[in-house]
Formats: sequence, structure tokens, C-alpha cells
Amino acid sequence: MLSFILRRVFVSTLLLLGATFIMYLLTAASGDPLRDLRESREPNRDELIRIRSEQLNLDVPAPLRYFLWLSGAARCLIPFANACDLGVNVRNQQVTELLPIALGSTIQLLTGATLLAIVFGIIIGIVSALRQNTGFDLTVTFLVFLMFSLPSFFIAVLLKEFIAIGFNDFLADPNIPPAVLIGIGLVSGIIWQSIIGGDRRRRITVFAVSALATSGVFALMDAINWFRFPGIGPVALPLIAIGIAILTTTLFAGLQSRRALVTGLIAAALSIATYFSVQGLFDISTAGTIIIVGSILTAAGIAVGFFAGGYDRGVYMRIGGVTAALSFIVIVIDRFMQSWDDYFTDRSINGRPIATVGASTPTLDGDMWILGIDSFTHFLLPTLALVLISLASYTRYVRAGMLEVLNQDYIRTARAKGLGERTVVMRHAFRNSLIPLATFIPVDIAAVVGGAIITEQVFSISGMGQLFIRALSNVDPNPVMAYFVIVAVVVLIANLIADLSYAVLDPRVKAPQ
Amino acid sequence: MRTLHPRRRRFAVGVAGLGVAALALTACTTTAEPGDDTTDDAAPTGGTVTIAEVNELSGFNVATPTGNVDINNQVAYFTQAGFFYLDTAPEVVYDESFGTVELVSEDPLTVTYTVNEGVTWSDGEPIDADDMILAWAAASGYYDDAVFDDAGEQTAGNVYFTPAGSTAGIDLTSFPEVGDDGRSITLTYSEPFADWNLFAPTGVPAHVVAEQAGLDPEGLVEFFQGLPEGDEANPQEANPELRALADFWNTGFDFASLPSDPSLYLASGPYIVSEWDAGQSVTLVRNESYTGDLVPAFDQVVIRFIADSTAQVQALQNGEVDIINPQASADTLASLEAISGVEVQTGPTGSYDHIDLNFGSEVFADPAVREAFLKTIPREQIVEALIRPLDPEAEVLNSQTLFIGVPGYDDAIANNGSADFAEVDIEGARELLAGQTPTVRIAYNNANPNRVDAFLAIQASAQEAGFIIEDGGLGADVWGAALGQPDTWDAFIFGWSTVGVGVVGNPQLFGTGGGGNFGGYSNPEVDAIWDELVVTADPDAQLELILEAENLIWADHFGLPLFILPGVQAIGPNVEGVEYNAWQTGPIWNFWEWTPAS
Repeated sequence: MLSFILRRVFVSTLLLLGATFIMYLLTAASGDPLRDLRESREPNRDELIRIRSEQLNLDVPAPLRYFLWLSGAARCLIPFANACDLGVNVRNQQVTELLPIALGSTIQLLTGATLLAIVFGIIIGIVSALRQNTGFDLTVTFLVFLMFSLPSFFIAVLLKEFIAIGFNDFLADPNIPPAVLIGIGLVSGIIWQSIIGGDRRRRITVFAVSALATSGVFALMDAINWFRFPGIGPVALPLIAIGIAILTTTLFAGLQSRRALVTGLIAAALSIATYFSVQGLFDISTAGTIIIVGSILTAAGIAVGFFAGGYDRGVYMRIGGVTAALSFIVIVIDRFMQSWDDYFTDRSINGRPIATVGASTPTLDGDMWILGIDSFTHFLLPTLALVLISLASYTRYVRAGMLEVLNQDYIRTARAKGLGERTVVMRHAFRNSLIPLATFIPVDIAAVVGGAIITEQVFSISGMGQLFIRALSNVDPNPVMAYFVIVAVVVLIANLIADLSYAVLDPRVKAPQ
Repeated sequence: MRTLHPRRRRFAVGVAGLGVAALALTACTTTAEPGDDTTDDAAPTGGTVTIAEVNELSGFNVATPTGNVDINNQVAYFTQAGFFYLDTAPEVVYDESFGTVELVSEDPLTVTYTVNEGVTWSDGEPIDADDMILAWAAASGYYDDAVFDDAGEQTAGNVYFTPAGSTAGIDLTSFPEVGDDGRSITLTYSEPFADWNLFAPTGVPAHVVAEQAGLDPEGLVEFFQGLPEGDEANPQEANPELRALADFWNTGFDFASLPSDPSLYLASGPYIVSEWDAGQSVTLVRNESYTGDLVPAFDQVVIRFIADSTAQVQALQNGEVDIINPQASADTLASLEAISGVEVQTGPTGSYDHIDLNFGSEVFADPAVREAFLKTIPREQIVEALIRPLDPEAEVLNSQTLFIGVPGYDDAIANNGSADFAEVDIEGARELLAGQTPTVRIAYNNANPNRVDAFLAIQASAQEAGFIIEDGGLGADVWGAALGQPDTWDAFIFGWSTVGVGVVGNPQLFGTGGGGNFGGYSNPEVDAIWDELVVTADPDAQLELILEAENLIWADHFGLPLFILPGVQAIGPNVEGVEYNAWQTGPIWNFWEWTPAS
């Protein structure tokens, strides 16, 4: 195992050196770094060309210039020496200063988007596998591939037009016309009946109930001006917590298990108690406080499961923990919503909360709740755009994986012993269907540091993608190389992790010798 | 030792855990903010105006080649006061609340610059002679004594300051005389210099440069006075103190984020940088120590970096920015006009495309062929197709040296012979060719759609007259280098940009051996005019010389200007008083006249 890792690291290093060399030459050959100066009609054009040539060592041929760059970059490997020299860009800015800024924005943007895409991709993939070849499956397939095929700048323009500008206009006078209310209800009814399925009668019932419920909820929200003053509040929050408890119990143990349900409900009760007791603490909270309170609550939920005991102790602990954690997220969302009005009426927001560009509102200041909302309103659209685009690959992988697993003999065996459908899917099929994901999720997470060139451009988030594309358009090799090295190293590591984890997860694959 | 019962032990661990958590909790909270509405209370009274810019700020010394980019110049325009600014004409407008520029004598050309008493940097340090001497030393190359070989390699001596602008003209000055008040300097030119009025000895704070370079800021004027003028005939070892000073001046103000030392971004103008959110925006607030007249109405200016034109338009529509100045395109204009409550302004810019003929190529050796070729160029059609959709008032540019709307332009086009090329004259071209079918290779940047369209129009028209046109379109990465290889083309379509003021740029475009005269045009009469022009300080005499040269250039069939690139700026409903400006400062040129909309 160790020799395998060492061999991989050695080969990767050689690969990296070769790739950076080629990349450097390609970047240097991609254009003329003096183009703007050649077009200049300044009397001292030649002097300007001389200065820039000196600054970027343009008088050294590119293959040799690579080694100048390499000698600076190699010093980054010396620990604690702070001798890292990745060169300067065409504006004489240190690449070592530009890189952390770009990396920070990119990670901020893409971590959320990638995680959401994975979560939703798994959920949608599994549901469409379970409803294979139904209207739901085909519609989902159609939609995710439609999003996959649309250019991201186009999705971005649409999102900005309808979700940012359109929604902000709506907020100026939030009234949902009755026709729209009915429309929302119908669409939701169609979606739910196709997910839940069953015979015609059941479908009609599901359709009617969900359509009425959705329209009703929206009508209620409209009536209490919820879109302008959103909140969950002391009435809805306990209901939601109990709902989470029931849902979690249904998924993990089934409602017939009383002990599981009681565990879930106790965890929900703990969450509700927390909700009422932490409001004062939340006003003076930082992110650290939230994490600590959340961890304690989750631990308490797990403890409830532990003390519920019995042969299914593990399941109860999971139910308690998940219920508490999800409820806590709702509690935090509720607290963000309490700050919404302050945010909404701030003069730098001026009643148009959903942003189309940037990562934050300049000149806005406030506590973590205000700033948190600000991040949310700025990252909402780019995250949505990225999730919509990348959903297709996850849903397809999960759907295929799930279908393959469902056709395995051990699933038939499980069904034959009379296990319920929920147990078969959740306990026997679900986890195994995720094994193929282990190969590409690490690589996808690694690709996060590469940024999203077009999405960053259209949403003005100055991440790695922007660093790369701007440098490339200036024929500026140093930032391009920094970008390339970071991405290459992370991807190589991720590939190694993917290979190793696959061997651990799937006993059919032996650890490489 | 007594051991705890397992359950008790578990309980103890739990209690300990809770204790640790409680400690961590108290460590991880902030103090409560007074009141629940802190953000509103802190907000300034005069409001904020937000501007979208394509590029991000990269430095605070705009006199260096790396610092001299649009965005840095804009921030400097907001934060640095000066002797004058340029209006939309563009003409020099003096700001007497900062200081005075006095033309003491025309022969020898002598100019005195005096900063008003009480004008200070934002750290309280007065702006005075040492700041002006530093700016002058950098702009004039007074101390440089570098020797270069034919290949352009430096063989001896030193180049200290590397200014973005040309030292030509300023290098005619001797060491400035410092006034007794310590806040005026007098420059004496050995010969008259045509663009003397565009030079202002202002720039980065000298006391900061001196401190950073390890020199005593107090003795800076004496230090400069004590140094000998650089002499290329007698190159010296580098002066280590001047080297340090110049090195800091050259590179010390380039940044990727706001430096922790506030002395590196001192202000002398109405605003000062207060925040730079790297990659996102820069925030300017009122400079409390500003005493001048250009007092803005807005308390804050936010410049957001938005590269994408569509994103700029949608940000304006969503109220996130108030003023945008995107790259003009038909799509941008159409989407801007569809937004209600937004004022759209269009007009020309300082960039224009033109076609130059290669005087070294065989086909154009005969003036008749040059004239015939120029007669076939459908300029009106090109402007109609490419420019009027964006700027309905756009006209064909009819002068090689002056811009539409600039004083003298109307006189120039009345006499320069451009009328002969106002319309396509295929018949006239045929007569001049007298049956010849010359082959002309037209080069252009084929990644620029305007130039591709212009080429196609010219090709179609010239072929009618009997020319054989070869498509010499070149990729974006190579066409710039091809300009300097005139043996590869007969005519070249490309662009220049101009700041609209100054005359000393002309010789390098139309003078023998000029750096921008790629077609090898050479007319001794024109050269003689240029020699006179660069030492002529009187604006009327300058114009006369330019008109004279203009006639000769047109008579020689140098080439043709095609069109001025259009620009567009759009203003949201929160700001009033923004005016269109074609020149470098763009829409911000009169920021002190902006007012919040009522």
C-alpha cells in the first residue's frame, strides 16, 4: 500500500513537471504580451515595451523562462521560509498575493454549489431510479439535460432577469395574483403525484392534496405579507421540527417503530426547547457559537437515541441526531429571517435584496446575521446556476448506480424474505448505489479550486477562474501557472484519494499492490 | 483509589464536556450591538454613488507603466487634486483652489507652478516643492544617463524612474527653481515645448516615497538639488539613494489589495480610499482634509469591478450600480434602452480605426494608384453599417490629426482635400488606374468584427474599380507584430486611441521614421512642420502648422481615417448631473457636479 502511494506520488511529480512545462510554453505562445503597447501611439512606446519586457523577462526565450519561473516556484516547497516567488503579473502585482484572494472567493462560491449539487443529485437520481421510465423520470431527465446543455452565461442571464430583478420588483409590492396561485398549486400537484406514484386513485388524491396545500400555503404567505417579512416563528417552528422527526423516522426506521418515533419526537422537543432558549444568545453570536450550539444539540439528539437503546440503537441514534441537526438548521434559518427586515431596509440594499453581481454589498455592515443574509443574496444566483448545470451528471450516475444495485440478486433476496420496500431501498440498496460516486466526488471537489470561469465572469466573482482567464487574455504566464499548479496538485491528490477510497469501500476491488 | 461506576463516569464526562462547551461558547460570542438597527444609524447623509468598472484597481501611482491603467486613473481622479483637469472638449480647465500655473515667459519658455497655502495630503503633510520636484524628476528623466546599444540593450549608466509618459519635452527643462515659500517651482525649458500645458508636477507624496526608500523626507529638495544631471556621454555608477527612491516610485505603489500602511494611498482630492474589497469593489469616502472647490455631493463613491457588459447592464437594472460605461455593442444598447428609468448616453470615444498605405510597397509607389485605391473606400457605408446603429449622430472622420468637435477640425476638413474621398468614386478610380489591375494585400485583425466588416466593404468596392484585393487578415496574437513588418502588407486596417489633447504625438505617426508610422511615409516638408510644431507653444500657431501638415498628408494619400468607435454610458435613477465624455476619464469627469436624485 505504502509503496503504491509512493510510486503514485513520484509519477505524479514527474507528470506535474512535464505538464507545467507544456502549459508554460502554450501560454507563452498563446499571444503577444506586448500587444496593447504595439498599438499605443505614445511617443515613448519603445521605452514602455522595454520596461515590460524587463518586468516579465520577455527577452528570455519561453523554454528557458520556464526554468526562471520554476526556480521561484520551487522555493514554495521550503517550509516556513516564506521564500515563495510565483512572479508578478503584467500589472506588477505579486501572484502570491493574488492567489489567496482568488482561491478564497472560489472556495466560497463552489463549495456550497458542489455540496448542494451532490445532495440534490443523489436525491433526484434515487427517486428517478425508483420511478424508472415514469413521467417523473422522463421529465427530470429532460430538465437536467436541458440545464446541462444550456450555456452557463445564458442560465445566468435568465436567473438574474427572473430571480433577481423580477423577484426584487415583486418585493416592491408583493401580491400573488390568484391565477398564479392556482398555477403553482397545479404544478406542485403534478410533481408530487408523479413522485409518489401508485394507482390512479392514489395519484388523484395526492395531486389534489398537494395542489390544495401548496396553493393554500402560498395564499397564506401572501396574506400575511410573508415575502416581505419572512419568518418561521414560534408556531410554525415546532410543527416543522415535529415534521422533521416524523420524516426522519419514516426514512430510517418506519413509523411502525414506536420507539424510533418517540426518539425523533424527543429530539424535536429538545430542538424546540433550544429554539426558545437561545434567542438571546443568538443576538450576540458568531459562527463559532452557532457551530457549538448545533453540535451540542446534535449530540443531545444522538444521546436520546443511545438511551432509547435496544437492538436498533444505531438507528435510533441516527434518527435523534439527524432530527436535531435538521431542526437546528431550521432554527438558524429562522434567526436569519428575523434579521431580514433590517437587511431589506438598509440604505445600501434599498429594498432590492437579491443581487446579480459580486460576493457582497460594498459599504454594508452589520452583525453576522446581516452579513450572512448578504452572502446568501449574493451567492444565491451563481450557486443556483452551478447546481443546475452540474445536476445532470450526478443524477445520471446515481440513477444508473441505483438501477444496477436494484437488479442485484441480494436485493431480490431481501425482497423475498419479505422486507418492506423502505428497508430494501434505504438499508440494502442506497449505500451500495453510492459507491460509484466515490470515484468522482473527490475529483469534483478538487475541481472546485479550479473555479468556474464563465460563472465567475458573469457574476463578477473574482475567483480562480477569473484569475486564469484574465491572465490568459493578457498572455501573462505567471498567474496562469499558479492557477495550473494549484489545480493540478489538488486533482492529483484527489485522484489518489478516490482510488484508495474505492478499494476501501468496495470489497470486490482489492487494494492495489 | 475509588473507581467510578461506569454510568457515573459517563455522567462526569458529560458534565466536563458541557463545561468545556460553555467555556467555548463564551469565547465565541460577540458583544451585543446597541439597538437593533445599527446599520442605518451609521449610514452617511449624502448618500452613495456606485460605478461599475471593468478592471480591478492595481495601484496608486498612475505615472508608472504598470499603474497607468484606466481604473487606477479613475481612483486617482477621485482622490488626487491637481492644477487642472480636462473637460469634455477636451480642454484644460485650471483648478485654482489647488494652485496656479503661471506662464512667466514664452521665450525662454518658463512656467511657475504654485500650490496654494494650506493644501495638504490627507495625513496633514503640506503638498509643496518636494512633491513637485519628485514628480518632475520622474517625468523628465533628468538624472538618467543610460546608454543603449543598437539592439536596445542597456550597456552602461542608469535609468532611474520609469514613467508611463514620454520624457520628451519635459527633458528640455533644467533643474527647477524652488520658490521662497517652499510650495512653488519654476521650470525653464531650453526650447519651447508644444505640450507644456499638459504637464503638471503632481503625483505620489514625496515624503512617503522618501520614508519608504529610507531617506529623510525633510531634506528631499536639497537631496535632488545636490545630484548632478545625468549625462549619457559620461555614464556613472548608480546613486544608491536615488536608486532606492526611484525603485520605490516605480513599483512600491502596485498592490493586489489595500496595503496595511495608509500612507501608501494618501489623498489630496475630494475623496480618499477607505476600503478595497479585493476582487469586488473599492470604497471612497470624503477626504476630511480636502480644502478645494471641487466638493462632491455624495459622501461615498463605490467602484465595483464588473468585467462582463451584460452583467453591468443587469446590475444597473437591479439598482446595484448607478453608472456604467460598458463596451458599446448593439446588444448592450438594445438591452439598456429596454430598461425604464435609465438614462442612456451615446457618443464617440477617443479610439478610431483607419487604413494606412504602405509607401514601401511596389503597388503604391505610384501616387495615382494610391489615390485610386483611396477613392474606392466606402467610408460612409462603413460608418452607416457599423457605427450609426450605436451612435446615430456618428460621422465619417475626415482628418488624420484632429478629432471631430476639437477646435480646428472644421477648418481642417474644409481644406485638407478629404472632400475628394467623401464618396466612393469608382469611375474616378478606374480612370486613374487606366486599365491596370494592381494587387493590394490588406492586413487587419480578423478577431475584430468591425475590422473584418470594414475589410469586406473595402474589398467589394475596390474590386469594382479593378483592384485585386488579397485578404491579409491576421489572428489577434500576430497582427500587432505584423504592423512592424511592412513587407507583408500593402494596406493595414487598425486603430489608434488618443487622449484628445496635445500635439507632440503627431510626428511619430506621420514623421519620417516615427514609431507609429508603420507604412514608412516620408515627406520632408511634413517633417519640417513637425520639427517646428514640437517647439511651438502658442495654440493658434500650433493649429496653423497642423492644418498645413494635414493638407500635405492628404495630398500624399497617406491613407484614410475610417470611423471613431462609439461609446455608451448609462445612468440609473439615483444620480443626476452625469454627462457623456468621450475621453479617458469617461463619465466621472465631473463627479463633483453629480447630485443625488430628489
